[in-house]
Amino acid sequence: MSKVFNVTGCILRLIEGSNLQIKASYGLSDRIKQSMDLQIGEGIAGHVFSTGAPLMIDDTHKMPDNLRVPGIDATSVICVPLSVGERTIGTLGLYDKKDEWGMTTFTEEDLKSLMTFASVSSIAIENARLYRAEIEKEKEVSQTKDYLKSLIEDSADAIVTSDIGGLITSWNKGAENIYGFTEDEVIGKFLPMVPPFLREEEKNFIHKIMQKETLRNMETIRQTKSGRLIEVSLTLSPILDASGDVAAVSGISRDISEKKLVEKELIRKNQELSRLFFINSVVRSTLDLDKLLRMVLTVVTMGDGLGFNRAILFLVDESGKALKGEMGVGPASPEEAKNIWLSMEGKSLGVIIDEIENGPVFLDSHLDRLSQKLSIDINGDCILCRCIKEKRPLNIRSAKTEPSVTPYIIQMLGADSFGIVPLVSRDKIIGLIWVDNLFTGRPIKDEDLQFLMGFSSHIASAIENARLFENVTLAQSELKNIFESISDMVYYTDKDFTIKRVNQAVVRKIGKPEEEIIGQKCYKIFHGKDEPWELCPHHKSSASQQPYVGEIEDPYLDGTFVVSNSPIFDSARNFVGTVHISRDVTELRNLRERVTHSERMAALGELAARVAHEIRNPLISIGGFARRLEKKLSGDIQEYAKIIVNEVSRLENILKEILGFVKSSRVNKSNVNINDLLAGIVDFISPEMDERHNTIITEFSEQPIIAVIDPDRIREAILNIFTNAAQATDHGTITVKTMFEDNEAVIELTDTGCGIREEDLKSIFNPFFTTKPQGTGLGLAVTHKIIQEHDGKVKVESVWGGGTAFRIYLPARRTSLHEARGKRT
Amino acid sequence: MKLLIVDDDTNIQRLYKEELEEEGYNVVIAGTGKEALEMFESENPDIVTLDILMPDIDGISLLRKMKEQRPNIPIIMSTAYDYRDDFAVWASEAYIVKSSDLGELKNTIKKLIDK
Repeated sequence: MSKVFNVTGCILRLIEGSNLQIKASYGLSDRIKQSMDLQIGEGIAGHVFSTGAPLMIDDTHKMPDNLRVPGIDATSVICVPLSVGERTIGTLGLYDKKDEWGMTTFTEEDLKSLMTFASVSSIAIENARLYRAEIEKEKEVSQTKDYLKSLIEDSADAIVTSDIGGLITSWNKGAENIYGFTEDEVIGKFLPMVPPFLREEEKNFIHKIMQKETLRNMETIRQTKSGRLIEVSLTLSPILDASGDVAAVSGISRDISEKKLVEKELIRKNQELSRLFFINSVVRSTLDLDKLLRMVLTVVTMGDGLGFNRAILFLVDESGKALKGEMGVGPASPEEAKNIWLSMEGKSLGVIIDEIENGPVFLDSHLDRLSQKLSIDINGDCILCRCIKEKRPLNIRSAKTEPSVTPYIIQMLGADSFGIVPLVSRDKIIGLIWVDNLFTGRPIKDEDLQFLMGFSSHIASAIENARLFENVTLAQSELKNIFESISDMVYYTDKDFTIKRVNQAVVRKIGKPEEEIIGQKCYKIFHGKDEPWELCPHHKSSASQQPYVGEIEDPYLDGTFVVSNSPIFDSARNFVGTVHISRDVTELRNLRERVTHSERMAALGELAARVAHEIRNPLISIGGFARRLEKKLSGDIQEYAKIIVNEVSRLENILKEILGFVKSSRVNKSNVNINDLLAGIVDFISPEMDERHNTIITEFSEQPIIAVIDPDRIREAILNIFTNAAQATDHGTITVKTMFEDNEAVIELTDTGCGIREEDLKSIFNPFFTTKPQGTGLGLAVTHKIIQEHDGKVKVESVWGGGTAFRIYLPARRTSLHEARGKRT
Repeated sequence: MKLLIVDDDTNIQRLYKEELEEEGYNVVIAGTGKEALEMFESENPDIVTLDILMPDIDGISLLRKMKEQRPNIPIIMSTAYDYRDDFAVWASEAYIVKSSDLGELKNTIKKLIDK
């Protein structure tokens, strides 16, 4: 152009932003080129650009300063805008026209030519620019594409695009990794990772996408090529085309199965363990220690829990010097492990814990026995000691290379890797839990030990509590034992005479279950009265609020009691009730009476014996010679002799009775069936009964009652009662009953006779006491003595005019028929 | 057949002697324990009847001494007292309660002789 127009220089400027940059020039030094960019409106070009009108200047030096461009030393200039349609894109300027004679000025012709040239070149420049912009853009797009592509390909997430019909259009490596299908297998197919049961839902999703909705982070299920279901987090978004319509769907999914699994496991562990250790904390106090320990170990070993193969509990013993194996949970062999696993299948930890809680605890499994053999000096170098000293869990991966694992431990427990967690309650070391995976060999995770450690303080304090509880229980049961085993009756009443607590002696004496005694009024239970009994020491002690001891004869309980009553006061010195200690002294009193009776008898007997002996020899002479006279005489005189003989015989019989009664006896005892003995007596006595038209009724116990007695003596004792009964009864019945009660044979003889006067009842066993004109007064005394000699008792109840009942109690035993037969033969 | 009767009551001695001689026995009488032991040796009786209550030596001691000398001699214990439970009398062949009716004594003697 410089040549055509014959000019010194030429400048092409194009607008870039607000700058008019020199894009091409001729005749300008490089230095000027770089500093000659103009702003719109600045210099000649700026002026031309902003006005859009060409400019022709003959001498720039005559121009105003603001149009001059410093640095370009030009005189004549023409400058035209470069325009495309309405838009100005730059300027084209020529300067310092020359001719053959030197410098000249531009003509109108020059301007026109330049303008024509400019209009043509504008289009060319614009085209070139557009093309270049196109190239740039394309380059940029392709770079972005590459970047995105690698992003998509390298992503661990599955990134999948599909058309709106769900047919796959792209499938990244992540998708292949997660779902297992290769790109080739799935392109053009309907989303193969959507499980059949979710296809309809997927269509709903696509429908939503069509509404340009984006569905973010949905958790749903996908299926892998192998058919495994996995949990994914899925984001679906629409892909819009140039016109803004939804052309395709992109789906980004992430496999969260693992995360879910861990989450679930955590939740489960938490639930189960918290169930055990926190919710059950109330129940815990009522658990016995063994059960608690068993539960702890079960939680540690169950799949639902921590899933260790074996768990062993060590506790610091009472001396504090040794760690002792307490119990172990786990199989003895891989074989057993399998069986246990099978038997546990389907049982949740909760169910198993309940089973332990409600069932008996056996401490005799293989691992229990193994554990119980283990005893480790707490001050030794053993790894277990280190664990409790340092109060932190230890995860031993190789016992053989760990110097502080003693061969003893390896030998006893056989595990090369194991974990130990100390049990510390309030800074006190209780023991430790050993866990291992002896059978599966699964490595023990530090997290698992940490997790166990997190619970160890709860376990430890639970053990501590259970131990305390056990001690308290023990102390309580000791107290209770003492209370219950006191043979005296002990009971408390409140101030209103209501029974609050009783011991077993009371239950035995009253003969009612404890529940029917507690809550009742004491005067009702003990004295059979409807209001407090003024003779009862309790009445006196509660009136005076002073301790009171007294003896009371209680017809209701049929006995004599020494009663000690002590009032109880609360902390404010209010009278709240009474403690009663009551001793049944009936036996004692009876014994005392028996002693007196015996003494009386002995004295009497001595006298009787002396008298009898002195009388007997003369009687024998009188009687003997009378018999000789009787033999030798005849007639009336013989009759007199006979009278003497008879009277002497009667006297001799009386003496026999007296002497038989007082004689010191040695009893000839043997095993006798009381029922057989009585049957014999009844047979013997029957004729005598018939005389008075009396009927004998026998009610013998079904089982034989065996007593060690002198049958002759007892027969004599019973016959005496029978004789009395027969004499007292006319046209009546005599009932003979035998029973076995409290290791005693009870023989009851009841008649319907005239009975005994109340004032006579006390005396009937006294010797020489009789109400019969012909009686010796010795029959019942002999009976009494014989029964006494057999360590038995005779009791009599009688109503004057209403019959009499004698009860004989003899120490005896009930026996089988077989044994009884054996004895008889 | 010689019977030795030991009793301190002279009336009873006579009653026994007359009654038993009527039964055909040769009857010798001792009134004290000492006399009884002497006669036991000198008279060599076939049967002895002993009263237990004697003034010098009681019947149980006499029984033991006589059995020491002649273990097989039949001895009848006879007393006003019932001594059946005293194990000492087990050593004797029979035991009877003294009575004016000598029937039991006579039966017992007869039984012992028949043996």
